[in-house]
Amino acid sequence: METWTVVAKLIGAGLAIGLGAIGPGVGIGILGMGAMNALGRNPEARGPIMTNMILGIAFAEAVAIYALVIAILLIFVA
Amino acid sequence: MAGKRRGGGFLNIGVLVVALLAMIIVSFIGSKVGSGIVGSEPLSFLDVDAPKYHPAPGRPFHSLPITNTMITAWISTAVLFGLFFIGTRNMKLVPTGLQNFLELIVEAAANFIEDPAGEKHGRWFFPVCTTIFLFVVANAWVSLIPGFETISIHGETLLRSANTDLNIPAALAVVSFCFVEYWGFKAKGISYLKTFFHFGPLWEALKQIFTGNIKAGAGGLLNGFVAIFAGLLEILSHLIRMMSFTFRLFGNMTAGMILVMIMIFLVPWVLPTIFYGMEAFFGFVQAMIFGGLTLGFACAAVMEEE
Repeated sequence: METWTVVAKLIGAGLAIGLGAIGPGVGIGILGMGAMNALGRNPEARGPIMTNMILGIAFAEAVAIYALVIAILLIFVA
Repeated sequence: MAGKRRGGGFLNIGVLVVALLAMIIVSFIGSKVGSGIVGSEPLSFLDVDAPKYHPAPGRPFHSLPITNTMITAWISTAVLFGLFFIGTRNMKLVPTGLQNFLELIVEAAANFIEDPAGEKHGRWFFPVCTTIFLFVVANAWVSLIPGFETISIHGETLLRSANTDLNIPAALAVVSFCFVEYWGFKAKGISYLKTFFHFGPLWEALKQIFTGNIKAGAGGLLNGFVAIFAGLLEILSHLIRMMSFTFRLFGNMTAGMILVMIMIFLVPWVLPTIFYGMEAFFGFVQAMIFGGLTLGFACAAVMEEE
């Protein structure tokens, strides 16, 4: 019984971060693509594009971080 | 001659890269995991303990209700206070040294805030947003000082990054939430409540129905209910915002801490430095996001509706 709880916890944590990282990964890819396109069209606007891309990436990454928090909670707290 | 010198430069860089790679490989093989793969004993000076993570902040002084993250928050507050006190003690019209640096920060923040918020509202938002930014970035960077988490008293680390305690991001999120609502009321008065309880369109539709204009009223009825529902959603989004603020900062900083710990465990030499640099950058970015999102929500709250 005890073993199965641990197994369930570990699988749950792995699934949480693994599935939760899919969406942000795609999102960051799209963001990078958009930034590259913008850079190709308008190379002078490198600074603002970079700043906004990093801000956008941080937002997309936050979603993965929520999943990570769940995984951490499952492993260390639950 | 010049070509020779350039060749020498390349050679030096090559030697450096090879040396760093050798250090990475040696330290990986010498550490616990690497030696397990190779099948040898770990070297004593590379045998780092496996990372342990305690979600709850520890209490180094058992009897006192002071947590180690609290002490770090005090330290970063003291650092900021001291920096700004020393920098602005005898101010000159043409700034030099530290005063110049502080003016650079304040001016950059003021420009960043006044750009979307405008002159009048920017002056309201500036103190809170900049303070949140500086506090978060100081917390993140103070905890990156080498040896920071190594001091321990009674088997408990004396110092731990303040952002990795859920309470501190939560407190900042509540502060940000309260200020956003306060600014909303300050800018719009009591009619700010219309953002949340929007009965106007329904009222209008009912009036039209009772005055005989049933066809226009029935269409308006739906709009009225939609407006009420949107208001309720707005309440919900303001509350959820606090939670997402909290977990964004807490999760990022905790993940960074664990990442650095695991890297030190796996490859004790050279490689963790890269992650240290990344953590410094992410601390800055997260601080900017915390301050910037507060600014964005504040702008949304004070904006006049068309």
